Amino acid sequence: MTDPAVDNCTFRIGFLAALEADDGAYVAGLLVTNRYGRPLEFQCTSPVRPTRAQELLYGQTLRPFLLGESMGRALLERLGTPPDLLVTDNDAILDLRNHIAIPMARVDNQSETTLTNTTAPPLGRVRMGRRILSIHTAHEDDIQALHHGATQVAAETDLQEPLERVREALAETLEGQ
Amino acid sequence: MRHLIEHTSDNTLTPQVQTHSLPLHLSVSLFNSGLGAGITRPLRLDVTAGSLVPPPRLLPAWQPNWESVKTIGVQFLDVAEPARSQTHDFATGQTPNGRVDMASVFEPTLPHSPRTESKTHRTRVDVPNNALSIADRLFYLLQPPIETLLSGQELVMPFEPFPFQYHGIAWLFSQSSALLADEMGLGKTMQAISAVRLLLRAGQIRTVLLVCPKPLITNWQRELAMWSEEIPVVAIEGPSQRRRMLWEMPNMPVKIVNYEVLVRDSEMIGEDDFPAFDLVILDEAQRIKNRESRTNHAARSLVRKRSWALTGTPIENNHSEFVSLLEFIGAVPDHSANDIRQLNRLARDFVLRRTKDRVLKDLPPRLDRDELLDLNPAQQLAYCTAERDGIVQLGEMGEMITIQHVFELVLRLKQICNFDPLTGQSCKLDRLGAEMEEIAESGGKAILFSQWTRSLDWMRERLERFGPLIYHGGIPSARRDDVLKRFHDDPNSHLLLMSYGVGAVGLNLQVAGYVFLYDRWWNPAIEDQAINRAHRIGQKNPVFVTKFICRGTIEERIDLVLQQKRELFQAILGDTDLSNSSLSLDAREIFGLFDLRTGHGDQLRSIQPPEQLDNSHKPSPTGLTTRNSQETGSPHKSPKTT
Repeated sequence: MTDPAVDNCTFRIGFLAALEADDGAYVAGLLVTNRYGRPLEFQCTSPVRPTRAQELLYGQTLRPFLLGESMGRALLERLGTPPDLLVTDNDAILDLRNHIAIPMARVDNQSETTLTNTTAPPLGRVRMGRRILSIHTAHEDDIQALHHGATQVAAETDLQEPLERVREALAETLEGQ
Repeated sequence: MRHLIEHTSDNTLTPQVQTHSLPLHLSVSLFNSGLGAGITRPLRLDVTAGSLVPPPRLLPAWQPNWESVKTIGVQFLDVAEPARSQTHDFATGQTPNGRVDMASVFEPTLPHSPRTESKTHRTRVDVPNNALSIADRLFYLLQPPIETLLSGQELVMPFEPFPFQYHGIAWLFSQSSALLADEMGLGKTMQAISAVRLLLRAGQIRTVLLVCPKPLITNWQRELAMWSEEIPVVAIEGPSQRRRMLWEMPNMPVKIVNYEVLVRDSEMIGEDDFPAFDLVILDEAQRIKNRESRTNHAARSLVRKRSWALTGTPIENNHSEFVSLLEFIGAVPDHSANDIRQLNRLARDFVLRRTKDRVLKDLPPRLDRDELLDLNPAQQLAYCTAERDGIVQLGEMGEMITIQHVFELVLRLKQICNFDPLTGQSCKLDRLGAEMEEIAESGGKAILFSQWTRSLDWMRERLERFGPLIYHGGIPSARRDDVLKRFHDDPNSHLLLMSYGVGAVGLNLQVAGYVFLYDRWWNPAIEDQAINRAHRIGQKNPVFVTKFICRGTIEERIDLVLQQKRELFQAILGDTDLSNSSLSLDAREIFGLFDLRTGHGDQLRSIQPPEQLDNSHKPSPTGLTTRNSQETGSPHKSPKTT
């Protein structure tokens, strides 16, 4: 939960995204920006290919384990600039919320062009900038962090855009491997 | 009794206990064994508590030990948010505790409104070719769209830039060597300032030196205050001791200096002791086009990490000027000899040039009109006499003739076309007066350019009724801003008389809807610069450009050559074809203005310029001017701006 006393000027958002390479390996990246989208820190993993044992043991839960608990948590631990809110557009990554104390939200896949400023977001969701964000069902308190975040970013902010930057950066690192 | 473990439907392990009854009533039979006493002892049953469910042993004893995930990271400099002025829009978003509610400041807009569509345009920073390390590449890749930073969020812009300007800002941001050669009036100044602002904000640079012509220092200060109010700026001027102190002043991100002071101070302080800069910007960079000049040397001697050159005319005369600019920005080594193909390739990597017709579809049109005038009788007489005598005189000189002699005759004839020095008759002034009556009547304003300050002063006395103002090299620098301000603000001031040399570059005069070229400059690029003082971004009305040309005179011949030059200029910069070297009138063209012949009878033959002079035009020769070039202009020299 975001500390309500957090200084507006230091409100930071972490954008967490992942890519799957052709060989089945995953890379994940975490970009921390200020409330305007200006980058403060970026961490990304080296490619991680799940082992056979992991595939057998985790089955359907392999992606949440790998992207969230394993890679997501590793990225967070390396951060020197912890965010006040983590945003992703990947359900598997959202599972990371079960292992950390930082509020998390998922950018809805709903196209921004279908939204209007008169559309009230559904229960459990908050409009932040031009996007609707939803929380992990097991962490309802995070809704307060979203409401606070909504007052921190400009109405024209697109919280999907930094995730695209992260994926571009990950693609660049994969090319350099 | 035994214990079992069962799987339940929710996959949890539940211990189950099965029990069996055992009879405790034991049968006893006696026999004589001598142990009778023991029989009388009651049976004792001890009860001990024991767990019926021992720890299940079916859970795996093996713990996962996955290999730890390796990460790499990039840290970005966290610069504090800039202070904002109280008058800023953010004031409306202040909450009672002084915090800013961004959502209340920036109301969401309807998705299909034009404004939203413009906001959804994203200009990303390209990764420069020289960014080789993954950290460097990530730095550029992770930068947000320029619009995100500049469209009313972190760094406030007073006006919404055009998309091509966003592109220019993003391009400059990623370039350590850049020649921004946008056509005049497209906002090179704003783009450079915004890129500087972003670089300062991103912690990529800390010190910037901006070098510009002296008359433009106040213009730059004004633009900096408008586009980047938070950046401290100082102009290096005044006595030498003060200038030395300013050069060494720390914590001053942007310093502005004019070319002359730069040359003087670099010699005074010495190259070794001269401060280094993260970024050096040359405005009107054509000032260093001559490789051998002290200005060029002083500029190239500056120790710097990034070099930008701004000019609307990267080629005024020949492609060696272009090479000089490339040398300054570090695109080519000093004194390199590049062929045309190499220059074309370098231009693609290091030059960004846009023209109005391509990017400013909405700019009001520029309507050019050639006003062909007949000389007044006294002018005609003076002109014919001067031309006849001059040609005869030149013919008599035969092979001794130089371009200087021809040039003097051209100037004399052009001056007569402006007005007859004896009677003051002037067909141009008559026409100008008539047109100004109409302009003033409608509350309009006009700019007039001439190459002679004397002509400007002469006109001023005769056009008092239009509240004329003078702006040329004879006006002290300190008073020039006042002149421009008065022209802008005073409704009774309808005419600004400017010399090409001082007024052609860097000034924003969109308040004027009319431009008169009273006489013609030698180079169409300079004429365009002059016209573009009015025809630039911010102009809301069509700009009417009138070029006065006296029929049947030297002016008509010059106009024909200039027209050909103008077409050539467009071909070179439009197609990036640098094979044509000369844009100013060269010696052969000046000789060609007259039918100069020598000899007698059947032996008459045309006089051609001496070979050395014909060749010498290419590297912009010196010593060909017959008098102060500021006042007269020379086909071989760019106008001085001070």
